[in-house]
Amino acid sequence: MSEVVTFLGLVVTAMVPFVLVAQGTMLSGRAGVFNVSQEGVMVLGAVIGFLVSYSVGSNLVGIAAAAAAGAVTGLVLAVTTTYGRMDQFVIGLALFFLCLGTAGLLYRVTIGVTLTPPRIPTLPDVSIPLLSDIPVLGPVLFEQDLMVYAAALLSVALWYYLYRTDAGMRLRSVGENPKSADSLGISVARTRIWTTTAGAALMAVGGAYLPMVYTGTYTEGIVAGRGWLAIALTFFGGWRPQYIVAGAAFFAGMDVLALRAQVQGIGIPFQFVSMLPFVATLVVMVFALRWVRVPAFLGRNYDRESRLSG
Amino acid sequence: MTTVEVQPAPTPGDEPGRAGSARGTSLLWAGLPYLIAVLAAFVVAGVVVALLGHSSAQAFEAVLTTSFRTPLGMRETLHKWVPLVLQALAFTIPLAAGRFNIGGEGQLLLGASGAAAVGILLADLPTPVLLPLVLVAGVLAGGVWAALAAWLMVRFGVNEILSTVLLNFVSFALVDYLAGDVWADPGAGFAATVPIGAGGELAGIGRPPLHVGVFVALAVAVCTAVVVRRSVAGYELQAVGANERAARVHGVRTARVAAGALVVGGLFAGLSGAIEVAGVQGKLIEGMQGNFLLLGIIIGLIARANVLAVPFVAFGIAVLEVGASAMQRRAEVPAELVLIVEALILIFLLLSDVLAARLRRRLS
Repeated sequence: MSEVVTFLGLVVTAMVPFVLVAQGTMLSGRAGVFNVSQEGVMVLGAVIGFLVSYSVGSNLVGIAAAAAAGAVTGLVLAVTTTYGRMDQFVIGLALFFLCLGTAGLLYRVTIGVTLTPPRIPTLPDVSIPLLSDIPVLGPVLFEQDLMVYAAALLSVALWYYLYRTDAGMRLRSVGENPKSADSLGISVARTRIWTTTAGAALMAVGGAYLPMVYTGTYTEGIVAGRGWLAIALTFFGGWRPQYIVAGAAFFAGMDVLALRAQVQGIGIPFQFVSMLPFVATLVVMVFALRWVRVPAFLGRNYDRESRLSG
Repeated sequence: MTTVEVQPAPTPGDEPGRAGSARGTSLLWAGLPYLIAVLAAFVVAGVVVALLGHSSAQAFEAVLTTSFRTPLGMRETLHKWVPLVLQALAFTIPLAAGRFNIGGEGQLLLGASGAAAVGILLADLPTPVLLPLVLVAGVLAGGVWAALAAWLMVRFGVNEILSTVLLNFVSFALVDYLAGDVWADPGAGFAATVPIGAGGELAGIGRPPLHVGVFVALAVAVCTAVVVRRSVAGYELQAVGANERAARVHGVRTARVAAGALVVGGLFAGLSGAIEVAGVQGKLIEGMQGNFLLLGIIIGLIARANVLAVPFVAFGIAVLEVGASAMQRRAEVPAELVLIVEALILIFLLLSDVLAARLRRRLS
C-alpha cells in the first residue's frame, strides 16, 4: 500500500516539469507560434535556476530568474517571427543551440569543474491541512512541494482563461484564423508576443524545477529529453490544458517507472527500460493523432498584407 | 508544414546588357549578410571573452589559426569535416523538401552500431570483403532508423521533428547496451566495444595519415550537389520544398518524395557513423556522436539548405570546432563559447536577410 502511495507521489512530482513545459508550448501554439526550443530553454532554466538559488540562497528567486531568462528567449522568438516573419522552426532550433551554449558557458564560468558539485536545498513539502489527511489521495496530492500546487493552479487557470472567457477565445482565434481575428480588431502581433514570452518562461521554470527537486545540484544531461517529450505531450493532450495534465500523468509514470526499474533490476537489461518512455511516446503519438486537432495556423507566420494567409 | 527558402531571393538589376555587373551585384548581395553575421557574432564573442577577463585577440587567434598552422591541425580539421558535412547533408536533403530531420545523431549511432557489429562479428575477413560490408551495414542501419520516422510521418502523420528526436534517445540506450554489455571492452575504462577487425579499418593516406573517409565524404557531397541540382528527383525534391501543394497538383508524389528525402538523410548520417567507426575510433564508443547533430543543423541552416554551400560552411565550422579546443587550452576560454558563436552567426545571418530585403525594397 505504502509502496503504491510512494510511487504515485513520485509520479505527481515528475508531472510538474512536463505540465509546465507542455502548457507553455500549448499557450504560444494556441496563438500560432510553434516553439521548438523547449529542450534548450529547460537546460538554460535549470542552470540559471540552480546558479541563482545557490548564490542568493533562495529557490524562489532562482525560479524567478529562470523564468526571466526563458521569457527573453520567448520574446526573441516572438519578435523575429512576428515582425521579421522568420521561420519558426529555424529560429526555435537556433535558440535551442544558443540556450545550450549559454547554459554550458554560465555553469563553466561560475562553478567550473569540481569533484563535489555545490548543492542547493531541495524544495520542502508543504502539507495542506485537512486535505492531506485523506487516505492515499492525501499524501499523493496534498503533501507536495509548492511547485506542484502552482502547476495545478496554472493548469486550471489556463483552462478557465482559454475556454471560459472572451479574451481566451480571442487568443485562440489568433491561432486558428489570424485574418479573421485581425479583422475583428484583435492584435495578432501583441497576442503572439505575450503568449510566446509567457510560454517560454514556463518552460524555463520547468527546467529550473529539476535540480530543485531531484538532485539538489545541476548535472549535464539533467533535462534528458523532457523538453522534446513535452512537445509530444502537447500533441497528445490535443493542445488543451486539461488533457495535457492527464497526459502528463502518463509521461511522468513512464519516467518514474524507468527510473525504478533501473534501480531495482527486473531481469531485462536496464537500457531497454530507459528506452521505454521514448518508444511508448512514439506508439502513443500514432494513436493520439487520430483524434487531435492542432491549431489551424500553428507554425505559420501571419502577414496582414498577404492574400494567401487567412 | 513550413516553407524554407531553397534559393537565395532573386536580385534586382538583372537587365540584359548589364549581365557582368549584375552578377557582381548579386554576389555582393548574397555575400553581404554572411559577412555581417560572422563579424557581428565575433564582436559579441569578443565582448564576452573580454568580460570574462581573458584576451579576445589571443582567443580569436587560437580559434582561427589552429587548423592552418600545422599539418596535424589540418588533418584534425578534415577528419572533423567528414561527419559534419555528412550530418549537414542528412539535415539539408529533407529540409529541401520542407522536412526537419533532427535525428542525425540517432542515425549516426545506428550506423556506427551496424558498422561495429559487422566489424566485430566478421573480424577475420580480409579488407576487400570486410571494409565494404562495414560501410554498407552502417549506411543501411542509418537508413532504417530514418525510415522508421518516415513511415510514421507518411502513414500516421507523426511530426518528423518529434519522431526523429525520440529515436535519438532510443539509440542512446541501444549504444549503451551494445558498448556497455554485449561487446563491452572491460579494459577500456568507459563504455566502448572491443575493436573491429583490422580488415574493417579505413586506410590512411599521406603524412600525417588522412583516412580515406575524407574522400568518400567529398565524393558524396559532389554527387549530392549534382543529383539535387541536375536530376528529376532533385527537381521534385525542391518543388516539394518550395510549394508542396503546387507540386502535388503537378503530379509529384509529394509524400513519397518527402519520405525518400528523410531516408536518404538517414543513409548519409549512417555513413558518417560508419566512417567514424572504421576511420577514426576503430570501435563503437558511447558518446561518440559528440555534438555533430547540432553542428550539422547549424551548417545546413547557415548554408540555407543549399547543397553546394554545405561543404564550404562545414569546413568553416570544422575550423571553429578544432580552434575551440585550442582556445580552451591556450587562452583558457571555455569551449562552449564556440557553440554560442555558431548559433549567433545563424541568428545574425537570418536577421540580416530580413534587413537586406527591407533595404533592397527601399532602394528599388
